[in-house]
Amino acid sequence: MPFDSKNDAGHTIVSIDETRLDASLSEPLRIYLFDQIDNGSDNLVIDLSQVRFMDSSGLGALVAGLKKMGGAGSMKLASAQPAVMDLFSLTSMDKLFTILPTVTEAIKEK
Amino acid sequence: MDILIVEDARDQRMILSVVLKKQGHRVFEASDGYEALNVLESHPDIRIVISDWMMPNMDGIELCEAIRNSDFGYYIYFMLLTGNSDREAVVEGINRGADDFINKPVDFAELGARLNAGIRIIELKAALEHKIHTIEKDLESAAETQARLLSEPAKIQSVDFNWYFQPSRILGGDMFGYQALDGETLGFYQLDVAGHGIPSALFSFSLNNTLREDGSGSLVKASFSEPPFYRIKEPNEVLVSLNEQFQAKPESMLYFTIAYGVINSRTGSVTLSQAGHPSSLWLKSGSKSVEKIACGGVPIGMMPDMTYKNVTIALQPGDRLFLYSDGVTECENDIGEMFGEDRLVASLEDAFDHTLEAMISRVEQDITNWTGADVFEDDVTYLVLEWQP
Repeated sequence: MPFDSKNDAGHTIVSIDETRLDASLSEPLRIYLFDQIDNGSDNLVIDLSQVRFMDSSGLGALVAGLKKMGGAGSMKLASAQPAVMDLFSLTSMDKLFTILPTVTEAIKEK
Repeated sequence: MDILIVEDARDQRMILSVVLKKQGHRVFEASDGYEALNVLESHPDIRIVISDWMMPNMDGIELCEAIRNSDFGYYIYFMLLTGNSDREAVVEGINRGADDFINKPVDFAELGARLNAGIRIIELKAALEHKIHTIEKDLESAAETQARLLSEPAKIQSVDFNWYFQPSRILGGDMFGYQALDGETLGFYQLDVAGHGIPSALFSFSLNNTLREDGSGSLVKASFSEPPFYRIKEPNEVLVSLNEQFQAKPESMLYFTIAYGVINSRTGSVTLSQAGHPSSLWLKSGSKSVEKIACGGVPIGMMPDMTYKNVTIALQPGDRLFLYSDGVTECENDIGEMFGEDRLVASLEDAFDHTLEAMISRVEQDITNWTGADVFEDDVTYLVLEWQP
């Protein structure tokens, strides 16, 4: 499983240990995020530092997690690389997520 | 069942042949691997090969590998006869493609049972292949339906429309369209449903319907009982309506990106709104330059209550607009490098003096040269319009 999670200051940090977040990984990621949410994680930080490329289905998995939470709790994105930031800006993801440069800043951000 | 016996010892071969014939099989014989390959080629009904291991010229294992490496178009069940009860030899045989083993001297009851097991596998495979074939036929006819939904290249009022569309597998989630909304206004769009295959394609079919105006009022044109009886909706209003209508479920996340625009065919004024779609490109005929029309927006269906921006530009005669899906720029070459927006823009700049058709083939050529193949990982679609009053 290319995903890992750890708890830090009331947050669940989910890291993605793959360089491509595309159709082949989007469904496993969605299931992983749903499991985290079902198990009571309500403050998620997604560490994207390893991801060099994300396509629309990868984006879909992140938004699916957000929709699943349904406004209860928070999901923040951290450490996105430039190509991933380009996708976030094209798709106005800043309207849906709090996007921060590092995991540490994401944890501090209220 | 048609069975081929490969055995260099003539007496052994004859005994096996007689026994199998008695069990109701049609039997062919060969005395070594080379002869066996010839028999297989001229008798395409043979599905089972029972081969001795040790033979001159080409032995049983080499024959098995030769069969596995050749393209018969159907599966051949391969059984090795061996006096060699050495476990390592058995493992080697299976690793090199054999399906089963029979120890020599042959116990005929065991041979019959093992043959029956082989026949069950062959029949299962045949049933599976038949089902796959049926599904593929269905997919092909769905792809034909999709192709019929696509608008023909056309000149409507003073706007020329043309396009390129190449679905990734048999079916794609990309769609586009254009139509007159009144005597001087045309609507056009290009969209990309996330994912590929049947769910995405079905969704794109229904979107094609939703975005069609048939004169009785629709998502793109509101109708009233009082004059002027209708109002053409602003592109951002259309996107908001789509977003209200098509919210994705978290489990399936069928959502889409779209560029939707309207053009006044008399004045050349274009208003465009985009939802997570790659920025459309404005090809300016006067300066021979390419300008990105950037207006971001959350893809349709991701979240309710999103708003979208309109961008209005004034086309000059001969100007073109290029709408495309991310499959164009995300095409990868053999080392995984993407075609990208810069190469697309360069390709379009080189094609300024081309006709619309020639420009479309030029971009296609540049993409296929880049990928080195004409089968793409994602749907590749672009829609081009030219205003020529």
